[in-house]
Amino acid sequence: MSAAAGGPRARRALLRPADALVLALALALLGGLYARLWGDGGAGAEVRISVDGREFARLPLTEARTVEVPGPAGITVVEVRDGRARCAASPGPQHLCERAGWLARGGEVAIGLPNRVAIEILARERHFDGFTY
Amino acid sequence: MSDHPAPRPRPGLRAALFGLVVAFALAACERPDPLQTQRLLVFGTVVDLSTWGVAPRDARAAFDAIDTRLRQWHADWHPWQDSPLARANAAFARGEAAALTPELVTLVQHAQAAAQASGGLFDPAIGRLVELWGFHQETRPAGPPPAPAAIAALVKQHPAMEDLSLDGTRISSRNPAVALDFGGIAKGYAVDRAIEELRGRGVHNALVNAGGNLRAIGTKDGQPWRIGVRNPRGEGVLAALELRGDESVSTSGDYERFFDWQGVRYHHVLDPRSGFPAIGSMAVTVIAASAEQADIASTALMVAGPGEWLGVARRLGVTQVLRIDERGQVHMTPAMAARLHFEVQPAPAVEVTTEP
Repeated sequence: MSAAAGGPRARRALLRPADALVLALALALLGGLYARLWGDGGAGAEVRISVDGREFARLPLTEARTVEVPGPAGITVVEVRDGRARCAASPGPQHLCERAGWLARGGEVAIGLPNRVAIEILARERHFDGFTY
Repeated sequence: MSDHPAPRPRPGLRAALFGLVVAFALAACERPDPLQTQRLLVFGTVVDLSTWGVAPRDARAAFDAIDTRLRQWHADWHPWQDSPLARANAAFARGEAAALTPELVTLVQHAQAAAQASGGLFDPAIGRLVELWGFHQETRPAGPPPAPAAIAALVKQHPAMEDLSLDGTRISSRNPAVALDFGGIAKGYAVDRAIEELRGRGVHNALVNAGGNLRAIGTKDGQPWRIGVRNPRGEGVLAALELRGDESVSTSGDYERFFDWQGVRYHHVLDPRSGFPAIGSMAVTVIAASAEQADIASTALMVAGPGEWLGVARRLGVTQVLRIDERGQVHMTPAMAARLHFEVQPAPAVEVTTEP
């Protein structure tokens, strides 16, 4: 594509260096804010583990690890791997905590009622607001 | 690009405009989250409360009020620990009358209507059977199953809601085998009262979920509330439902409270006709107008089994049902099939029924 006659001149008139700097900074700042505040899942998502409503740990889904969570009924084992988290073992008799499977999307949750442990994905977007079971 | 570019603002003005945009973005960050949530471990289950567009302080006050009421009801309605309901159950066995709280009177009236409407498939008067099976305890139910003769003896006495008479807040039973266990209605009733509490406080966008029995009012930022239906076998979520306006969902299943004995699963949804766990279904999910109706209907349809469930749905005025039979085959009414989205790949084959 060939530049129209007088193009560079018109462009300079429209956007001076200082304007360009302000524009670039503003866009970068907005982009950063967007990613931080509205971005979903991925690197930003965390798993929150709570016992009896009190936060026990808040972990990024990016770092693989296994956490033992003590509760009134025993130990609940939480596994974090490959951007997901799950209840790997719980002392509950019906093992409903484990049955929730791998959690990765905002709002996904596994709860072990006897041990009063909740494992929940925190992300800007909640994929689910609740579950029926 | 336009042939007539807009008049160019002065650089200073443009910088100020960008500054304004950034300032607005920052101001938006400081606004409190319009979604306020609270998880309560009360009522023998998990209760999740969510509001949209409510100031955190107001949401907190509403959540606290609901928490207080749920704790009170749990204490009042416990069928076996010392409670007004437990004392009434003991009085029935002695052939005496007992006093109920006003809330329990309402619950009895609702349960009587539901027992009649469901043809006795939902009947909270079978508390002695629940006790016999060991499903009344919060500890793990365990085998072996009760002796068939003991089950038959209780079934023969036919405890039913119609055996109960109310006189103000006094209740009596003409059948000593009656014991009330509101397991199949209490959560739904409580969810409806919680929604009332929220509405009374001017909250019109909310989700209340008591152990999978839930009711949604309004929307979340104009979007429907998104509900996952748990897979009755295996892990995770089977399907998603979007709720808008005022709708309730409840699921009854064979996987919440059960024990396996010699290769057979015995679950907590008992059929009042046989005294044994209901057969023919793994899970039934119902969408209804109120949480109580959904709770009752999901239990009654779980009990009804393959041949009868559509007819029972019709009698209960329920048109949106998902039923997974004992082989894992998915059945849906047309109204449910039109709105349920599977979250598993590949999606299971579905048998869509006639309209109930």
